[in-house]
Amino acid sequence: MIVGLAVVLFTKYDAFMYQQPVGQVTKVERQQTTSEVDNYQNHDHQTTQLVELKILNGSNRGQKLTVSNQYSDSQAMDNKYRVNQQVLLSIHTNRHKKISGTILDIKRDTVVVALIVTMVGLLIILRATGLRALLSLAVNVILFFIAVSLDVHRQGFGVLWIFGLLSLVFTAITLVLVLGWNKKTIASFLATIGGSAASLIIGMLVFTLTHNQGLHFETMEYVTQNPEPLFLAETLMGALGAVMDEATDIIVSLDQIVTANHKITGQEIWQSGKTIGQSIMGPLINVLFMIFMADTFSLMILYLRNGNGIGYAIQMNMGLGIVQSLISGIGIVLVIPIASMLASRFLKKEAINHA
Amino acid sequence: MLNTVGILSLILAGLMIWIGRSAGFRSFLSIGINFLILLLNIRLIAWGFPALVVTLLSALFILATTIFLGNSNDQSNETAFYATLLVLAVLTGLIVLLQGPLSVQGFGNENTEDLEGMSLLVGIQFQQIMTSTMLISTLGAISEAAIAEATGLTELVKMGSDLTTAEIMKHGFSIGHEIIGTALNTLFFGFFGGFLGLFIWYVKLNYHFAGFINNKIFVSEIAMVLISFIGVALTVPLTVIVIRIRAKNLRE
Repeated sequence: MIVGLAVVLFTKYDAFMYQQPVGQVTKVERQQTTSEVDNYQNHDHQTTQLVELKILNGSNRGQKLTVSNQYSDSQAMDNKYRVNQQVLLSIHTNRHKKISGTILDIKRDTVVVALIVTMVGLLIILRATGLRALLSLAVNVILFFIAVSLDVHRQGFGVLWIFGLLSLVFTAITLVLVLGWNKKTIASFLATIGGSAASLIIGMLVFTLTHNQGLHFETMEYVTQNPEPLFLAETLMGALGAVMDEATDIIVSLDQIVTANHKITGQEIWQSGKTIGQSIMGPLINVLFMIFMADTFSLMILYLRNGNGIGYAIQMNMGLGIVQSLISGIGIVLVIPIASMLASRFLKKEAINHA
Repeated sequence: MLNTVGILSLILAGLMIWIGRSAGFRSFLSIGINFLILLLNIRLIAWGFPALVVTLLSALFILATTIFLGNSNDQSNETAFYATLLVLAVLTGLIVLLQGPLSVQGFGNENTEDLEGMSLLVGIQFQQIMTSTMLISTLGAISEAAIAEATGLTELVKMGSDLTTAEIMKHGFSIGHEIIGTALNTLFFGFFGGFLGLFIWYVKLNYHFAGFINNKIFVSEIAMVLISFIGVALTVPLTVIVIRIRAKNLRE
């Protein structure tokens, strides 16, 4: 707890670790506000504020700097600065050694670290399994960045293979760390890979059959390489966690039941597996669906306020997210029969051995 | 003429009905209904209704749809629903509190291409839309965790009816541990898998660690993962508490 607080406090004073200048807002003075109406009769205001900053690091440390900033009520891409906020700066020194600067971005690391500390704290309160999950997450993050670098290095060539291989490694590492090395893990691994691969193949078949009709890969965000294989890789990665979650949930719950009742038959396990699967498949598909859809809100609202119809806005912003949700959903459903079947074989034998 | 979305929807519906019969059909329906609620949510906010109020109402309907339509077991449904309401209350407070410090509203520099030719002065506060985005993005995860926890416990109580409250608690936390462990992965992959392109962008354009840890889009995504995760973690003890209260009420 104390360590966590110390880490959060540290980030408030970590400016010295930054290579680029960091400033803290010491005073804000509001100047004029003008009313604006755009082409679509949206009313907004533009306000100019004078922001006084103290530089916290580098050769100009301790010096004061005044920057003029303009923000709107919407704050779509601009920011209204407040006292005590820390910002990243770009500083220029002119011939007379007078400094001027612009604000590049807000320094957000303190909040991020505070949230991470909260998460780790909760994991510690909930003990061991959580910590192992965290370790697997850390390993996965490192592997993820290695894979991304590899993809950049190969200029996007073979992106699906890189991330397909990565999924196998992710699944193995995560399951071994979370569940340990046992039959539950093997069953979950096989179910996860089976479900993911099947859903991706179905997705690719449908794309081919319909000649990508109704798919607008050009609307994909942040694309720097061939979009279609990238989209499939994103879908695979996005669903992998959920498919793994599903497989593990079913197999762990079945294991609990087998442990509580040794006399259970293989047929009953299969039935229970389907019952558990049935009740989580909908919610689990909704998890990904909510994540994929929520991310489009800002753009959707911008489109609608810019005089576009809702059909067009959906097509441009939500279309690919919907396809991604559907392919993920297919994987999530297919995992149920696979996991139940595997569980009724693997776990039953283990129960007999225990008895 | 069927397009890609149509065919994939039919395949998904078919598979869900095959596995769950009528329950599977209801699950599929819940996804469709949630989509309509989301569209209505967006439409109302775009018309200028207060985002937080609209979103909280949408959240209630989405939780109810996801939990009650997705599952045929009434007992575990109600438990899960009450637990998610408690979690939602906590998360709303957390998200509203975090909006100021996070300042991740609207769009980042990486979005510039998507925004070409658009008016940004649309008179709607994007900070409120971000609150809405964050709240909605947690709903799936917390209802999923609550249902998994409640269903697991209810199945367990059914199989061995002579379990004591202490044993239920123990099994509850045992199921909970694993749910939390795997939920972390669902969320992590769910958020970041979808942003593979963005990460490739960061690496390609040589973002420094500082530029990336403070980046608007990255921070908003990681904040959503962490908030959702906090929600999932809270779901476990809160579900066990709801089960205990309900068991006590049933005995009396």
